[in-house]
Amino acid sequence: MTGDHRVSRRTMLRTLSALGVAVAGGFDPVTPGTAHAQALGQNETVEAAIKRLFGGKTIKDGSPAIKLDVPIIAENGAVVPVSVSVDSPMTPTSYVRHIYVLADKNRIPIVTRVTLAPEAGRAFMGANIRLGETGDVRAIVEQSDGTLLQVKREVKVTVGGCGG
Amino acid sequence: MTDIGKVRLRVPAIIKAGDVVQVRALVIHPMERIERDAQGKIIQKNYNYIDKVIVTYLGKTVATFDTTQNVAENPFFSFTFKATDPGLLKVQFLDTTGGRYEGTAEIKFS
Repeated sequence: MTGDHRVSRRTMLRTLSALGVAVAGGFDPVTPGTAHAQALGQNETVEAAIKRLFGGKTIKDGSPAIKLDVPIIAENGAVVPVSVSVDSPMTPTSYVRHIYVLADKNRIPIVTRVTLAPEAGRAFMGANIRLGETGDVRAIVEQSDGTLLQVKREVKVTVGGCGG
Repeated sequence: MTDIGKVRLRVPAIIKAGDVVQVRALVIHPMERIERDAQGKIIQKNYNYIDKVIVTYLGKTVATFDTTQNVAENPFFSFTFKATDPGLLKVQFLDTTGGRYEGTAEIKFS
């Protein structure tokens, strides 16, 4: 998931719509679904996943800006509601580009990557995720200027939900 | 399961122009988890789960979710968008077997 890849895809989409090619075609992921998913979710440690996603970039503490809403105790690890909202003006010059949700103790630590456009109006995402066992859930936010911010919270899981 | 791919979208009943609206989307989908054999090795196969969710409003992509198997069964997502004009809000769910499930909501101002 390098920046180059993103740029090329965006440029390609723009070109497609400029040419007036069928809009539905433009929404198709450029890479086949499976290959893409394998690239994102891999069996690795959370440190390896962060390294793979962000390289050696420093990740600052984002606790003043990011609100990570997770339960303190999740009775059922199969369904854990998570929501992340970030203080951001969401203007075309300054917005939140990505929100990553990672679960430290899951075998595949990356849960989801959300790509936002300034039209979203607010940097917010919510999802129900799975947690294998008690551990930290972290949200990493990438802003449009490339700054990385992170917060994490521990979730106690009574019954794991990842199986295997 | 015959219900696979059923999408439910929930938008607020009253939307004013310029509001930042929070939407909840749900799709019925098994989101298969990784299976292991007796030795604990991962069984290699094409697991059926949703790996992409695309939200478009007035034909423009507002948000995309790239998801892994860590998302719960019958995945539920919420997101916001800025309601500038009346039009169509569309949420597409793509899974790893090529399935494409879609839900739409007509955004109207009262």
